[in-house]
Formats: sequence, structure tokens, C-alpha cells
Amino acid sequence: MTQRISKYQRFKMMNPIIQFFKFIYLSIKIMIVVAGGHGGTRKVN
Amino acid sequence: MSKIVILGAGISGHVAASHLRRKLSKEHEVIVVSPNTNYQWIPSNIWVGIGRMKSEKILFPLAPLYKKKGIGYKQAKALSFYPEGDKDEQKPYVLAEYVTGEKQGQREKVTYDYLINATGPKLNFEATEGLIPGKNKTYSVCTYTHADHAWEGLNEVIQQMKAGKKAKILIGTGHAKSTCQGAAFEYILNVEQELRKHNVRDMAEVTWISNEYRLGDFGMDGMLMSYGSMTMKSSEMVEMIFEDRDIKWILGAGVNKIEDGIAYYENLEGEHKSETYDFAMLIPSFSGHGFKAYDKNENDITEKLFKGFMVVDADYTPKPYEEWSVKDWPETYQNPTYKNIFAPGIAFAPPHTISKPRKSKSGTDIFPAPPRTGMPSGITAKLVADNIIDSIKNGKESLKHKGSMGNMGAACIASAGFGMTSGSGVSITTFPIVPDYEKYPKTQGRQLGKTFGEIGLAGHWLKLALHHAFIYKAKMRPFWWLIPE
Repeated sequence: MTQRISKYQRFKMMNPIIQFFKFIYLSIKIMIVVAGGHGGTRKVN
Repeated sequence: MSKIVILGAGISGHVAASHLRRKLSKEHEVIVVSPNTNYQWIPSNIWVGIGRMKSEKILFPLAPLYKKKGIGYKQAKALSFYPEGDKDEQKPYVLAEYVTGEKQGQREKVTYDYLINATGPKLNFEATEGLIPGKNKTYSVCTYTHADHAWEGLNEVIQQMKAGKKAKILIGTGHAKSTCQGAAFEYILNVEQELRKHNVRDMAEVTWISNEYRLGDFGMDGMLMSYGSMTMKSSEMVEMIFEDRDIKWILGAGVNKIEDGIAYYENLEGEHKSETYDFAMLIPSFSGHGFKAYDKNENDITEKLFKGFMVVDADYTPKPYEEWSVKDWPETYQNPTYKNIFAPGIAFAPPHTISKPRKSKSGTDIFPAPPRTGMPSGITAKLVADNIIDSIKNGKESLKHKGSMGNMGAACIASAGFGMTSGSGVSITTFPIVPDYEKYPKTQGRQLGKTFGEIGLAGHWLKLALHHAFIYKAKMRPFWWLIPE
């Protein structure tokens, strides 16, 4: 096994308090990406 | 009065039916034709497949909901399409056969003014010899029944490992042109975590096998994404996760035959190899349902409606990878010949793949088919419903709602382990889904910032929150329409 994720990174990934704020941040960010509109790609003459 | 018939009650069909019913007055008929008894929230099959969620938690029966909401429901499977009617029937119709109840086996001409084909894919297990869910130690998580069986199979292997037997676990794609690598990616991470929870991780060799050229391709040609303060390729992110979890990988593999505990595959070098296993979950290739279409004189016009999947407003002109454009992808999902037929979700024929096509040295195509997950399925279904609603209300065709996968974002919240404090998830968003090399030439066709990845416990909570939110929405509970697709 190659440890590619350091102990500190893992702590941040699994700490419930840090992750709670990350959850809020991700929810908003994902909402912006997916609910931020969609449309066509072809120009209308 | 208009009659809108929707074929299929998966994510796409159900979204279309629910929006049509909400926005159209009761004088208009909305009818769903589906062979399925239940609605299922497919993304949570992953947790059913590791025994952490009962399949009853991800499904509910369609008939009572549709009855309550005034949506017609025929539990029947579509057989063939008659978009001009026939000698006896003036209106266009779909020939459907009831699959249950008193009418089982009876056929009916289901006439329509507008038709939404949301039949999704056929899970084409037959394309790979011996790939049968629950046989030859191979399983699938494509449906909740498959996922239930997968957990039974996995649990058996876990018990054997607890008794001291070492095991090989193989997860990935079961055909040279499979798609849905994301589902297999979620499953391998969840299985790996379950092995740790059961204290048998050191007894198992876990291997990823895939038709992808690089890790993290996901059928989307990979992504350049923001990860924290860095910019990294999806291949680097997945490699980091796999190495950290001691998961081996085999890439460019077109699995072509399964025997009891052996997967045979060809790689891009043209070599024919095999991999043994004690438990495998391999995603099959997807195909169209093989529907036929006829004109009013009953001449075969299948090619006007289908290219495997349904023909829509895409540019299907064959051209090399270098000439592919984001503009090739459909915007309204309308059939060009029969303007009252639409095919959102997975039912439409894509113009080409998203990943670069590759051949093995012996000429076998080995590359992922394009994925179309729940989010674009829902978005495309809603825009089709909105265009039909506008057309009915205005009394003339309206196609103002557009949504190309080249101008649409998507989120993939890949579970990487279940548990309120020990779970994990890989949250990936991408914008757009199909890369637009004209708009974003320096960032592999996608917008950095809107294309990002995150790993951690929050990802698990997010997936769980989405599970509850989308089942609430699908059940059409109060204010369900406020939850976006």
C-alpha cells in the first residue's frame, strides 16, 4: 500500500466539524453548478 | 385536450410525468406506460450492494402515487411505434403489452398527441458471454434486485475470508464499450471500506478492471479539475485514491467472456488475457431496446426513429474525433421526422462518444460509451416537458427550452464508504458535461472552478442528503418542485 493521503489530510477529510462546514460549502457550490442554468450550444440565425 | 404518453418511469420518465401533471390542467391526459411496479432511486443501489441499505428504502410503488396525482398508469411494455397510426387507427400510437394483472399478455394501441420515450437503456448482459448477474460469481448493481444479490454474494466471500480464505475481488466494466464507470468506481470504494470494517481487508486483493484508457476517464474523456488549491487531472485524483486504498487496476480492457471465476479480456495491445476472481461486479454494455417503427401502411421506418437509441436533434454525421464539436449534441431531444416525439435521459442516441475512441491492435473497439446520469436525465426530461406544455398552451410548436449536455453542469457524488462518522465520498462536479473546446480551450474543454473534486466525510452526507431529497421529490410531497433536477 502506498500512503498517498497524509495523516493531516485524512484528519481534515474525516473531522466532523470541518466536514460540516465543507458540507454547507459543497451544497451551495453544487447547487450553483447544476441549478445555475443550461441551454443550447448552437447559434440561432 | 392533449394526451401525453410517457414510456418509462425511471428518473427521466417520472420527472417528465410529474412536471406535466403539475403544470397542465386536468383536461389534458398524462399517461405513463412502464413495465415496472416500482420507482427506484438508482444511485443508492451502491449501498444496497454492500448491505448498508435495504432495497425497500430506495423504491416505492408507482400505482398509488399516480392514482393520487391523476397520472394514468399502464403497467405494460412498449413493443413497437406507429407514429402515423395505421389503416384502422388515425392517431399515432405505441403498441404496448401488459405485463401483470388481469390484462397480462393483452396488447393495446396507446394513442398520443405527444410521446416522450424515456425507456432508458437495455442492460445488455448478453453482449458478454457468461456475464449473467448472480452466475459465474459475477454480480451487478444496476437494479435493486441485482444489488440485493450482489450483497449476498459479497457477504458470502466476506464470511469465507473471516474463515481464513484469501479472496480476489474484481470490479469495473464487463464489456469493451460499457459506460457507467462512476457506479463501478463507487462500488469498489464501498466494497473496499466494507472489507476494512469486517477486518478482512488484508485477506483480499481488490482490482479495478475498465475499458478506460486512463483512470478517471468516466466516459467523459477525463477532466481537469480544481482540487483544493490545486488543479489536477481526474486520472491523478483516482490514482491517488486507488493507491491509498491499495486497489490495483487494469485499464484498456475489453472484457469479452466470463467463466466461473474467470474474466477474459482483450487489451489495447491486442493481447488476450484473463483475471481470476472470487467476487466480481461488472457493469454490462447498454443498448437500445430493439424497438421497431412502422408507417401508416405498416412499412418499416425504424431508421427514422432509432439508431439503437432514439434519433433526436443531434448531428449524427460520422466524423473523426478531432472534428467532434459540442454542437453535435442535442438541445431539445425532439425527433426530426416526427416532431411530437421526444427522447430525454438515456433514451436518445448520442452523436458519438465523449471519450476518444480507441482500437486494440487487433481492431477491437475498446473505449467507454457516453454516460448520462440521473442529473442530466432529470434536466432533459424537464425541458422536454416544458416545451410540450408551452406547445399545448400556445397552440403551436415551442422549443424555447434547451439543454445541451455541452451547456449543462452535472454533479457526481460518488460514495466512497458508508457511515455517519466513518463514511466518505468523492464529490465531483463538471461543467459542461461534454467538453467545449471552443469556450474552454486551455482547460480540456471545461470550466475550472465549476469542475472540481473533493474527498471526505461531507461527500457521504451529501449523497445521503440527495438520497432523501430526491425520494421526497419523486414521491411528489409538498413543494417537491422546489428541489432542482
